[in-house]
Amino acid sequence: MSDKRKVIHGVPISSGIVLGTAHVVMPGDFRIVDSPVPATRVNREIAALEDAVEKTIAELSEMRKVAVRKIGGPVAKIFDAQLLIAGDYEFLQKVKNEIRSRKRTAASVYNKLVRNATNPLKNSPDHYLRQMAIDIEAVASRVLSHLIGNSVSKDTHLAPNTIVVGRAFTPNDVMAYRELKAVGFIVSRGGADSHMALIARSLMVPVIQTEQCCKIIPNGSRLIADGTTGDIIINPTPEEWSEYQRRRKRLGPTMIARIRRLPKIPPVTRDGKEMGIGANLSLPGPADDILAERQIPVGLYRTEFLYMAGNKFPDEETQYRTYLRIAEKFAPAPVVLRTFDLGYDKLGNGADWLHEDNPALGWRGIRAMLDMSQVFKTQVRAMLRASVQKNIKIMLPMITDLWEVERAKKYIAQVKLKLRRDGIPYDPGIQVGIMIEVPAAAMTADTLAKKVDFISIGTNDLTQYTMAADRTNNRVNNLYSPFHPAVLHLVALTVEACKKNNIPVSICGELAGDVLAIPLFIGMGVDLLSMSPSRIVDACRMINKVDSTLVRHLVTSVVSSGSLQAAINRLKDYKAAFEQRK
Amino acid sequence: MLKKTATIINKLGLHARPSAQLVTTAGKFKSEVFFTKEGLRVNGKSIMGVMMLAAEQGAELIVEVDGPDEQEAMEAILKVIEGGFGEID
Repeated sequence: MSDKRKVIHGVPISSGIVLGTAHVVMPGDFRIVDSPVPATRVNREIAALEDAVEKTIAELSEMRKVAVRKIGGPVAKIFDAQLLIAGDYEFLQKVKNEIRSRKRTAASVYNKLVRNATNPLKNSPDHYLRQMAIDIEAVASRVLSHLIGNSVSKDTHLAPNTIVVGRAFTPNDVMAYRELKAVGFIVSRGGADSHMALIARSLMVPVIQTEQCCKIIPNGSRLIADGTTGDIIINPTPEEWSEYQRRRKRLGPTMIARIRRLPKIPPVTRDGKEMGIGANLSLPGPADDILAERQIPVGLYRTEFLYMAGNKFPDEETQYRTYLRIAEKFAPAPVVLRTFDLGYDKLGNGADWLHEDNPALGWRGIRAMLDMSQVFKTQVRAMLRASVQKNIKIMLPMITDLWEVERAKKYIAQVKLKLRRDGIPYDPGIQVGIMIEVPAAAMTADTLAKKVDFISIGTNDLTQYTMAADRTNNRVNNLYSPFHPAVLHLVALTVEACKKNNIPVSICGELAGDVLAIPLFIGMGVDLLSMSPSRIVDACRMINKVDSTLVRHLVTSVVSSGSLQAAINRLKDYKAAFEQRK
Repeated sequence: MLKKTATIINKLGLHARPSAQLVTTAGKFKSEVFFTKEGLRVNGKSIMGVMMLAAEQGAELIVEVDGPDEQEAMEAILKVIEGGFGEID
């Protein structure tokens, strides 16, 4: 029974493929006995509590230090509140008083009072209040583990290739498990915008979220987890195991290290044409150094991490320092900083103040930023101040209509004027571009291209808006395919408009790194493909194989193919013919 | 003893960071600080207490301050709450 094969489709939270053994943990699942203690032992219980709290504070301070060193300031703030919780004098007094009056063990009293505090928060409809309960529980499980010694943080050794499965993990847990060489995580709670997701992505550890994972996945079972697609295979067949092993080798963090060994960047096609290649980044992390060393431009630097680290928009100085550090690291390679693209898929998981009946079509990206013009201007000002290296470009997400571009550019001009008046230097030639993700924008790209310095096509959203299908919805995601000729038609239309207006055009969705799509983009005349760092090596190899003079007809053939199946067949035929040729 | 009412105005309410800020502010003073929301009265120097209030945007808090520096303490606390904890909404 326990070795039965089973496939689960979860939500991808942090990408990468891992193969290993499930280690199911139940945080907070302690065997706490509410037994009375003799009066003579009361003082010993209190001393044990003080000792456990002291150890917890020391651990948290250490975690905080590691977080600052490995990830940087904003994320480390998560630990500040936890440190206050651990050392809460008033609360500990209450625990001690109750140990004395009720003569119970420190663990049982502490546990009971923590539950009293977290229960109302857990039932709150508010995402941020529920997050507080998780913070409190994270601290409590540490204190309790010191008191009774069986818990998460007591795992001092993990078997090689352990995939940790649990209800919810805190950023501390993720870091602690990483130190023990855990390779991935499967969680039942915590969305793509949770603190742990942020940290996992920056540490390049795959994470998948799926309901009831602790019940479905047997402890010790063999697992394949694909953090890029969200697929989990329990007790896979030997064929699946070797297939995923092969895929993991192609996509793992080692792949990023292999960028160092790429012979030539930017890569050239068979016929000697240079193809621009860039990286999509979401958070400063270990990949940056390798990319900067090879002078790989950043085609898309998402800035949402700055918001998510503290659930608020950081001030100008904080943003300025972050952008400047990034710019200096990559200079002279260009870095495209995208203004905050906050909306349903970043904050939607429970952020009730954003509640909308149809959030994908709601207040997000540039729409929100133009309404919160002060936030937008603060961000632009910080980006402009950091542009003195002359390698920063500004990109506006989710543009739908011309007036949004005009309004945003007006704001940017106002910020520039203010900077000049204040005598603060910035790059006067800084380029401002837009993302094309909405079909309306793609179809009017010719008008938009006249107003901007560059265009980048975000194929993920363009696909969901063109196909009217959500990638994360299992019932309809068979329709979500960027290879549908309708999507490719819009891409081709946009590229054409950019060529006509003489501005550079890039692709920055998942599709940019898809080896099946790369010949198509070369055929269209795309200038730069920006992708997640793990795909760069394969993409460069593919580019090396393509002859740019031979792929133009492929574009017409695929765009006019009429259906998804026909488009895919034509691309596969091309790839087969091409593999035969070499 | 001083007693005043303050409204939580920042959109996200008293989540972890504002709670920490409030407790840190209260902790700077010698006076005792209490917050009451809908009958639940908690010590203002205890982050666990403040978190238990589960105060969302629009929630009204009764702030009580009692001690030698109550005037300054009340001013500092109200400034933090009414400033929306420095969160731009």
